Amino acid sequence: MDSTETRFDFAPDRIVETVVALCAEHGYREINGEHVAQHLGSTTGLDSDWGEVEVERCLVTAENALLADVATAVSGAYSPDRSEWENVVHGVLAILELLAEKPATAHLGTTLARQMAPPEVNEIYKSGHRMLTAMLDRGWVYSTQAAQPSTASTGSLGGAEALLRREISAGRATGLPQHLPALVYGATVAFLGQEEAMRLARSARDLIRDTRWDPAKP
Amino acid sequence: MESEQRGMLYWTMMAELAAKGYREASVTGPIEAAGITIDEFEAEFGDKDGCLFAAYGHLTEEVVGHATSGCDSGEAWPERIRNGLGALLDAIAAEPEIARAMTRHFPGIRPATYERYVELLSRFVPYMREGREYSSVDEELPGEVELLAVGAAEAIIFGEIDAGRAERLPDMLPEILFSVLVPFMGPDRAGDEMRSAAAAI
Repeated sequence: MDSTETRFDFAPDRIVETVVALCAEHGYREINGEHVAQHLGSTTGLDSDWGEVEVERCLVTAENALLADVATAVSGAYSPDRSEWENVVHGVLAILELLAEKPATAHLGTTLARQMAPPEVNEIYKSGHRMLTAMLDRGWVYSTQAAQPSTASTGSLGGAEALLRREISAGRATGLPQHLPALVYGATVAFLGQEEAMRLARSARDLIRDTRWDPAKP
Repeated sequence: MESEQRGMLYWTMMAELAAKGYREASVTGPIEAAGITIDEFEAEFGDKDGCLFAAYGHLTEEVVGHATSGCDSGEAWPERIRNGLGALLDAIAAEPEIARAMTRHFPGIRPATYERYVELLSRFVPYMREGREYSSVDEELPGEVELLAVGAAEAIIFGEIDAGRAERLPDMLPEILFSVLVPFMGPDRAGDEMRSAAAAI
């Protein structure tokens, strides 16, 4: 190593964070060890055999961590003093705040893992998706509707995801919580009907009013 | 390049992408299938990426054309949505590999290609706006309800394509229709429309 070279012993979590950020910007196929090392400030690169397999490992690690963080955020938002649906409102806000804090991770969790990542990462995404779909399916317990199509929860979740993906891909991930009312409405209307879904959307609007997420706040 | 040659090139290029993935996809087969020379190809598209973007743009217009042709009749909005959705599902089921290329392989190449997919979905949003007139609540529906409806359909359709079950999508028209209509009409009336669509099938 000559005197102009700078090499670091990178902590694994810094490499993972960097890979996620670079993938959000360029897509995972474009990333190699040289890019990651440059991003971290090293002129010598990572190990010479560092490549696609390592990128995939980083994405698997990050996607698993995101799922765990989502579970922690939702359980942390729960209160036994609220109704189940009010807890859903608070849980969704907790997820949105989590994604808003880490835009690159938000891109991984909603976009890259779904449509752009290797199969192993996609499988983790799907397992998280199945968990959220199953949670929404509980909504039928509260429904008086004769029509209960089996794909309704997939559709409800899909609508919310489409809104998240559009915002994230447009570089507006940090403002995701301001969409809480629309997301709550979309997630609940199939099960609770329009009036109750609108009531929950108003509750969501109240929850973010006068916070930094309030769209009406300058 | 003749229009037919261009159409063949686009089609075989997307089929190549679906069959081999981005890295392995070659322009050689599509160029031969279209009956053009490599010089003509390079003059018009530059490289593989240029051709893929052009092919995606062309097929996007076809998909949107299929779906929206059913939306232009004089019928009530829910029926127009049903017709448009039915036409779209039939088109997807007829070409499952092209559908997979358009929903999975092309958007997955890099962020710029994914942007094209987001743009494709956004093309359907204006056709949803009339649904607000069917709401049974007095207050204004959330501002993004049109995108919620498009995203609901996309999620179900994407899931079936991704699982290799695109052929069964036309039979799923009633339940997909429910998910599209429910943000505007609520579950009772969306359920009525679903049953009506099922009866028609």
